[in-house]
Amino acid sequence: MEFMKNGKRIDDRLPNELRPIKFEVGALERADGSCYVEHGGNKVIAAVYGPRAVHPRHLQEANRAIIRYRYNMASFSVEERKRPGPDRRSVEISKVSREAIDPVIIKEFYPRSTIDIFVEILQADAGTRSAGINAASVALADAGVPMRGLISSCAVGKVDETVVLDLVKEEDNYGQADMPIAMDVRTGEVTLLQMDGHLTLDEFEQALELGKIGCASIAEMQREALIQKYRGEENE
Amino acid sequence: MTDIVVPGDLIGASEEYLAGEGTYEERGKIFSAITGTVETNKKDRTVRVLPVMKTPPVLKTGDIVVGRVVDLKNAVVLVDIARIKGQENREIANADQGAIHISNVKDSYVAKLDTEFDQQDIIKAKVIDEKSLRLSTVEKDLGVIKALCSRCRTPLVRKQNKLECPSCERIETRKISDDYGKGII
Repeated sequence: MEFMKNGKRIDDRLPNELRPIKFEVGALERADGSCYVEHGGNKVIAAVYGPRAVHPRHLQEANRAIIRYRYNMASFSVEERKRPGPDRRSVEISKVSREAIDPVIIKEFYPRSTIDIFVEILQADAGTRSAGINAASVALADAGVPMRGLISSCAVGKVDETVVLDLVKEEDNYGQADMPIAMDVRTGEVTLLQMDGHLTLDEFEQALELGKIGCASIAEMQREALIQKYRGEENE
Repeated sequence: MTDIVVPGDLIGASEEYLAGEGTYEERGKIFSAITGTVETNKKDRTVRVLPVMKTPPVLKTGDIVVGRVVDLKNAVVLVDIARIKGQENREIANADQGAIHISNVKDSYVAKLDTEFDQQDIIKAKVIDEKSLRLSTVEKDLGVIKALCSRCRTPLVRKQNKLECPSCERIETRKISDDYGKGII
């Protein structure tokens, strides 16, 4: 498969260009905090509940809140119907996503409680874990959970020997490498870094730099979405 | 219109201000921990972020709460606190069991607690100590707001200052709230 033509990708983007992204803060009425994200062909909704009492009780920590994260793909989110329920892949993504978000939450404010994050993938088009993390981060801010910063995430990869930002499904499936990154852009702390495929050391460094630039653009969008939502409410 | 900050935004230096609510300090700098508007207090030199969204409810002295009676001891009633009045749509962040001492049930003398409460009663109470979660039902609008008949589990109906079971005609006594059976908090 040919991915690069005249320096443009299969969906006419430049190698360092993100797909169009839309954030909608507070999309759900009954969740304590929520966010709906459209990231290219990805449609993701994140809901936050808590801090609230922990059940089962033995999971609670005396000095801090615990974080629980559930990443779930809808059966209709992919081309071939996905068997519903947790599988090996979604359990792993839940774990790494929780660990990506966890370092910025100020957990000591709410001892003996839990903060539950639910991420539902309604439509998938590569980079769903990144879209999920971006949505979860904004949903946490919407719930009023104290945080040291917002976590932003995007994927980088390699197709036709070129390092590209924010892969689409074809590039992810038939490309040479895929590398999701999540980070706190202000501190520069990288909280998630995975890689599938092969990159040389030079390519890896180039990809990491490109990923950081991508995360920075997304951080600005998350910020803008939060400010826009509450600025609107202030004027009403 | 004031500027809105989001978590992680720099709002000052430690030399300038004391970090107040909604902020945190890191390496001599103060950052916002929540989404809100910055407020500085020139008098005590604190800076805090006033939230623009609803923050997690936390029990404070003076809050009116609703809960369910889970245990009756000799001198205390244990209550599972469910919600705070005014924030009924959200679970309490530091939810726990509260206790009503026999001396905080009502103004007059209480000889035995089982004439005032029963297991599973839904009650409305006021927090009189946020640390030990002691509650009081002394005021007129506080007390039992829903109770079931101890013989047949039918919801009891208020008859003056007593409660009557509409199906088995049993009469029970409670520390009844003015809002008994109205479904309002």
